Amino acid sequence: MGTRERRSRSNERDLLISELFTSSGADSEKIAIAAVGSFGRGELSPGSDLDIVIIHTGSYSPAKLTEIVNAILYPLWDQKIKVDHSVRTRSEVREALGEDLKVAMGLLDIRLICGSADLVAEVQSTALSTWREDSDKYLPELEKTLEERYQRNGELAYLLEPDLKESRGGLRDITALRAMHISGALTLPMERISQAESILSTAREALHLVSGRDKDRLLFTEQDKVAAHLNYLDADALMSEVAQAARAVDYLMQMAWHQYHHKGRDGFGRFLKRVRSDVISPGISVSNREVVIDSTFDFDTDPVIGLRAAATAAQLGMRLSFNSLRRYADALDTGRGALPAPWPREAREYLISLIGAGPAMVEIFEALDQEEILFHWIPEWRGVRSLPQRNVLHRHTVDRHMVETAVSAAALTREVHRPDLLLFTALFHDIGKGTEEDHSIRGEGLIKPLAARIGFNESDIAIIQKLIRHHLLLSATATRRDLDDPATISGVSEHISDLGTLELLHALSIADGIATGRAAWSDWKASLVSDLVRRVKLAITDNTVTQQPELTPEQISRAAKGKLSVAIEDRGNIYAIEVIAPDKTGLLSIVSGVLNILRLDVRSARTKTINNVAVMEWIVLPDPNAPDLSQEMLVRELTRGFESEGKLAQRIQDRIDAYTQMPTIPFPAPIVETFLDAATDATIIEVRSHDRPALLFSIGDTVRKCNIDIRSAIVTTLGAEAIDTLYVTEIGGGALSIERADEVATRIEGSLK
Amino acid sequence: MKLITAILKPFKLDEVKDALQGAGITGMTVSEASGFGRQKGHTEVYRGAEYTVDLVPKVRLEVLVDDADAANIVDVIVKAAGTGSIGDGKVWTTTVDQVVRVRTGERGPDAI
Repeated sequence: MGTRERRSRSNERDLLISELFTSSGADSEKIAIAAVGSFGRGELSPGSDLDIVIIHTGSYSPAKLTEIVNAILYPLWDQKIKVDHSVRTRSEVREALGEDLKVAMGLLDIRLICGSADLVAEVQSTALSTWREDSDKYLPELEKTLEERYQRNGELAYLLEPDLKESRGGLRDITALRAMHISGALTLPMERISQAESILSTAREALHLVSGRDKDRLLFTEQDKVAAHLNYLDADALMSEVAQAARAVDYLMQMAWHQYHHKGRDGFGRFLKRVRSDVISPGISVSNREVVIDSTFDFDTDPVIGLRAAATAAQLGMRLSFNSLRRYADALDTGRGALPAPWPREAREYLISLIGAGPAMVEIFEALDQEEILFHWIPEWRGVRSLPQRNVLHRHTVDRHMVETAVSAAALTREVHRPDLLLFTALFHDIGKGTEEDHSIRGEGLIKPLAARIGFNESDIAIIQKLIRHHLLLSATATRRDLDDPATISGVSEHISDLGTLELLHALSIADGIATGRAAWSDWKASLVSDLVRRVKLAITDNTVTQQPELTPEQISRAAKGKLSVAIEDRGNIYAIEVIAPDKTGLLSIVSGVLNILRLDVRSARTKTINNVAVMEWIVLPDPNAPDLSQEMLVRELTRGFESEGKLAQRIQDRIDAYTQMPTIPFPAPIVETFLDAATDATIIEVRSHDRPALLFSIGDTVRKCNIDIRSAIVTTLGAEAIDTLYVTEIGGGALSIERADEVATRIEGSLK
Repeated sequence: MKLITAILKPFKLDEVKDALQGAGITGMTVSEASGFGRQKGHTEVYRGAEYTVDLVPKVRLEVLVDDADAANIVDVIVKAAGTGSIGDGKVWTTTVDQVVRVRTGERGPDAI
């Protein structure tokens, strides 16, 4: 079993055809028989057709030609050998080349079996030169046929019963890649898929042998037999290797099409023959619609750059350059650029931004997997890589299912107060699969060190563990327990006793269900789960509104001085900044605006006003282009901001305009909620939105224009999502009326569109 | 021959399936359904927001039986599906003219 056997099978057929050619009385100066397609490559599986082309000079009479051809083909047909043949002169071959993509591709593998070597060599030369010269015609047509084939045959890596030849990532894709490579229109590292080709070809050969049929679909019933024939441990091991091979093929295919569509075609680059490159941040630029890490970048100076590049690419809806990935993977393999443990905060934030990018993250995650970068970051992922789930409920391997769950979760981030925990848990909820042990229990154990390494704190880890342990609880309870029975409700609230975790578990259940597929999730099931959640909520006397911050005695004492003061603490990659300033309308937006101008990205903030003096604590992440921050600089900029709000607004607008030129991905609409009775003498406004430059400035500015005061604020950025909770009052004090609260909420929502 | 159709609370499905298997029934069709009867929809108020539940999720179970077994099987379903509270569901029978097993072509009670 393997290449040698397939070659030997091919040689046997060559011999048979040569004997028939000789006995037919054909003149080897006037006619030749050539193999094309897989037969041309000498790769014959037991069920493969014999694809041959009979080429002649045109000097035979039609009757004589028919006699020769019949003398060759009839004995083959009599032996039940399937033959796909054509009989053509050289000019007819040229004609067919121009009209038929299939013929053009088949002839790229042409090989002389018997007869005139000159005739075959001439056709081979014509086929190759035509393919190269007309690649601009052939390749778009090829892309269209691939898409149609994918629609019909699905993805090899993820189907329960895939077609080894026709499915996406299958053997026919390898033939297509070879043809693309030969065209000269692009350069492909074909050696990357040589192992994949061997795995898929051998699996197909074994399938033909054990089934006794020429079909290429690896049916459920055949998988155990093929696995045993090829000495795999079991069918799961076979399907995992087949899936991995198909993913490698598909990855190269994606790379090929990107290269074909974008190389040198960015802006004026196609005319100037010079690649246009837009710098996004130090070490990272966009070129040919790819995010590129500078070729001279020293990975040891910034171990977070891989995650930063991945998150940037995902949020821009672009791919990561193959060369950058390769360089980064090489660096990691040689011990350079390794992330410290625990990860710094910004590394975690970039991971969450990557996960939260929705469908745009799939291709990037796949690339990180294919380049094995992912396993340097998350070694635990290897345990579920291409792990099949051979049951009718699932449509994906375990790893892809978790990625798809994260994609579904990205659309639900506005439904929860901790989108970071939702996205992280969605990506790892089935990490415990792969053994006989209950995967929820195993996952609960595995996730603890993983989450700690990524930098979550203990209370967050406890929530993550709870979510993974109980990720099937709502679905199972809703469909199998009496929701009218109080014991059912207390059975859930016993495990999930606060609203924050309940809303996370609800969103995770939905995302998991959608990702699993129609067999596991429907409107019917969703309504049952929602009903259960609604009943559990009624039983929980908790709330999810963030409480106002408390000030320390030292802060109260500093505030009593009533003057502008600034303290900066450098915590490595981030700054903790305390600003104390006399309160004024719009203070929050001014300070956040100044931080924005100084290229300091606000990750969190807590502000509270006491005796008309605001105490603000900011955690900010400096942009790689940020100036070196000093107390004097910040005081100077704040003073300028207080004196001229108009100029500040204009400078911020200029920065926003610069950012809006970059592409973006779709994300859920912002939500603005008001809570009238949740605080004494204040109204709470909660804004949940996708993060963007100067978001807090926009919100604060709108609040200022509504003529209301911000008494305190809690600002949190989690990956690419922001949750801002504002305690607001009328200027003279007192909570807002229902109408005023609605008006403010509507105006904030409007400002975020 | 009779077609017995039962509308049940979803969580009762496993019990009803077990009871039917205990009564010798080996085949059945189950589908997701939603609707309301005397139970109607209901309205709940939570944190100031009003939720109206118009259609209640149910399971629809169908079993083909010989005429002589119909009454007993209905009783088995009713017993296993009951909680005594509103919304337990309904069971009804309809007369079936003909049944054909597609694989073998058998007809009538032999096809059940």
